[in-house]
Amino acid sequence: MIVEDNDADVFLIQEALAGTGLRIELEILLDGEQAIDFFERVEHDPDLSCPTLIILDINLPKKQGGEVLKQIRRGPKCSAAPVLVVSTSDSQPDRERMASLGADGYFRKPSEYEEFMKLGAIAKKWLGPQSS
Amino acid sequence: MTQSEVEGIQLLVSGTGDGHQYTRTILDALPVAVYTTDAQGRLTYFNPAAVTLSGRVPQLGSDQWCVTWRIYDENGTLVPHDRCPMAMLLQNIAVEPGGEYQAERPDGTRFWFMPYPALLRDADGKVTGGINVLVDTTERRNRELRAHEQFRAIIETTPECVKIVAPNGDLLFMNPSGLEMIGATRPDDVTGRSVYDLIMPEHREFYREFNERICRGEKGTLEFDIVGFAGERRNMETHAAPLRYFDGNTVQLAVTRDVTERKRQDRAALLLSAIVDSSDDAIVSKDLNGVITSWNKAAERLFGYTAAEAVGRPVAELIIPADRQEEEPQILSRLRRGERVDHFETKRQCKDGTLLDISLTISPVKDAKGTIIGASKIARNITESKRIQAALAASESQFRQLADAMPQIVWTAGPDGRVDYYNERWYEFTGFDRNTFGDISWEGILHPGDLQRCRATWYEAVKSGEPYNIEYRFFDRANQQWRWFVGRALPVRDESGTIVKWFGSCTDIDQQKRVQEDLRRANQDLEQFAFSASHDLQEPLRTVKIYSELLLKRHADALSGEAHKFLGFVHGAATRMELLIRDLLAYTHAAKIEAASEAIDSNEAFHSALADLAGLISETGAQITADHLPSVRVHSTHLQQLFQNLIGNAIKYRSRERTPEVHVAAERQQDEWIFSVRDNGIGIDPEYKENIFGLFRRLHSSDEYSGTGIGLAICRRIMDRYHGRIWVESEPGRGSVFRFSFPA
Repeated sequence: MIVEDNDADVFLIQEALAGTGLRIELEILLDGEQAIDFFERVEHDPDLSCPTLIILDINLPKKQGGEVLKQIRRGPKCSAAPVLVVSTSDSQPDRERMASLGADGYFRKPSEYEEFMKLGAIAKKWLGPQSS
Repeated sequence: MTQSEVEGIQLLVSGTGDGHQYTRTILDALPVAVYTTDAQGRLTYFNPAAVTLSGRVPQLGSDQWCVTWRIYDENGTLVPHDRCPMAMLLQNIAVEPGGEYQAERPDGTRFWFMPYPALLRDADGKVTGGINVLVDTTERRNRELRAHEQFRAIIETTPECVKIVAPNGDLLFMNPSGLEMIGATRPDDVTGRSVYDLIMPEHREFYREFNERICRGEKGTLEFDIVGFAGERRNMETHAAPLRYFDGNTVQLAVTRDVTERKRQDRAALLLSAIVDSSDDAIVSKDLNGVITSWNKAAERLFGYTAAEAVGRPVAELIIPADRQEEEPQILSRLRRGERVDHFETKRQCKDGTLLDISLTISPVKDAKGTIIGASKIARNITESKRIQAALAASESQFRQLADAMPQIVWTAGPDGRVDYYNERWYEFTGFDRNTFGDISWEGILHPGDLQRCRATWYEAVKSGEPYNIEYRFFDRANQQWRWFVGRALPVRDESGTIVKWFGSCTDIDQQKRVQEDLRRANQDLEQFAFSASHDLQEPLRTVKIYSELLLKRHADALSGEAHKFLGFVHGAATRMELLIRDLLAYTHAAKIEAASEAIDSNEAFHSALADLAGLISETGAQITADHLPSVRVHSTHLQQLFQNLIGNAIKYRSRERTPEVHVAAERQQDEWIFSVRDNGIGIDPEYKENIFGLFRRLHSSDEYSGTGIGLAICRRIMDRYHGRIWVESEPGRGSVFRFSFPA
């Protein structure tokens, strides 16, 4: 699951994940509100399950990444789901705030392609070989 | 009659034999009572003196043992005739010699006598009878008794304490006055107790020595204090002499006087004379004719006449100026009526003719019967205080004129903090009525939120004597709004350092305060804007950069040479912009970090900076050296940034012709540390010495030397924050020295 409004970054994240060689089914949500709706539904609908990994941007339209993360951690189903925050910001307050809300990792979006591709290796630790 | 005379009589009788006519004639003629008995005690002879003494005619042959009618011992107990000394002797019963007896005559009169019984023996030594000589001691007894009674009466009626003290301090006797002196009620309260217990502890030891000395036979006098039974301390003066006591010991006989009152009066008199002598006011007494009777030291100083010159002369003649002569009769007539004259201000003349302003207080002096016999006069020189008063009034009026001309509110308060004056501004601002002046009227117009703080500050200042500076709001009646003021107050002290006045002002800083607040808000907004802007700018830039890179990487074949070149520009520009944004962020951060509370080691900051510059240093082969650097009170991030920017610049603007060398040092000058970063680079044209610290100031094109033009602006901003300085000294082509200073 990727929550990211910037198509350019969605593309780069997909490239990075593809680089892991794992077969991954990706769902992309483009704003915070959609994401909050989705995670509310997951909690109430027995047929829906929590994504294996949630890659979450901080700066999102409508609702910010922080609020999405709060919603994720609210329900019993996703309370333990791995969340990897991605952001252009390198500021310490941002890192600390997301960590305190329950983020499992923080990846600063770099401005070089090769650097960006390192996201794949980071994501891989939560996406075991059994993932689909 | 002496013992030997008695013995002579006894010998006479025993030696010549009873009944001898010659002996009888002698015995009959004796003025002392003599009688004889046979061995059984039956009377065989008595002389006429025995009849006179006993008051009866004894019966020869039937009276046994005695000639007297009734006998009593010294204690007044009746002694049976067969137990009289004569009877005892004849019956061979031992009896103490020397006893005195009383006998009663048939007519009831009594007399004292001493019996001298002796045995009569024949040639073989056999007891044939007894002889007794009765010596009348009545007159001696009476004499002794009278003397004893007199002595007792003296002891009991004397107002002094009479006491007898044993060598070990035990009180053997004390008379009623003594008991009264110590507050005891009965002799049993003290006799047998140690006298030392009555002595004040601090006098006990020397009293003990004194007692022992007297008991060794010396006479002496001593002053000491006792503490009576009621607990009060009293001063005593004792005169003591040794006394041979009946038990054979030498003890102390002391006559002691209570001198508490006398001492108190002595002290009071001494104190009074000391007071009079040490007074700064002239104290003079005179009789009702105005003739001086005493003249103290201050009077000598003030008027210039010695006591010897003044006493005995009329006051009027000595110190009253000619034009005030009428004052004296008026004063004297008031005194005669028993009136006081208080603080009468007048002038008096000194010996040298100088006229003094004097304040007089004159009171009548009465004798023990209440008759007015003269006057005591206290004269105070008020010449100086009059002058000061006048000067003070003048300076006060000047002060008020000045205060009224000031744009601030001005007030004064007494040392106790009570406001006693406000200038015109106060009444204009508050609209208060001058006639209903109130010490704490300021509290009424103070903002309720500031009231407690202001009160606390003001009363604390009054207590500690420290000046203060405090901001608060007053209600502006004219504009119906609160206005900010800064209140300041300073204590004014006299030569001895005592606060005599508080001087305070209230300055309207409302406008200034608003401007400051607006400025602070604007600054805050600006920083917030710069911070968010640089963050939000980074995001699209990153996309531009990364996709231009991807385009070049993946679609190189599809692009023309010119497209390659253009994409290169795009990528380069994006990279530069990224740097700019990073430095701008650093710039806005430079002043944000909280004040450093502890001194940090500059050497550590220096080495951290080198670590961050490691790439550049190894790339250029730069030689970086440093002296040992001091500790300064700076935030370590800031110091590191200063080193990093300055050393970074030093390497960046290196000369093509030589290996870059950078040396960092620090030097103490007065109360600051001056750091220097010296390089051998291209140097800076003096024209640009100031410019280079501005934001986005660059002296070179980015082709020559890359840079954002923010580094030195960051340094300046950091130094501003610490109220330090940063400047450069340079020789173009040879190198530069950047210096910055921190308070030590």
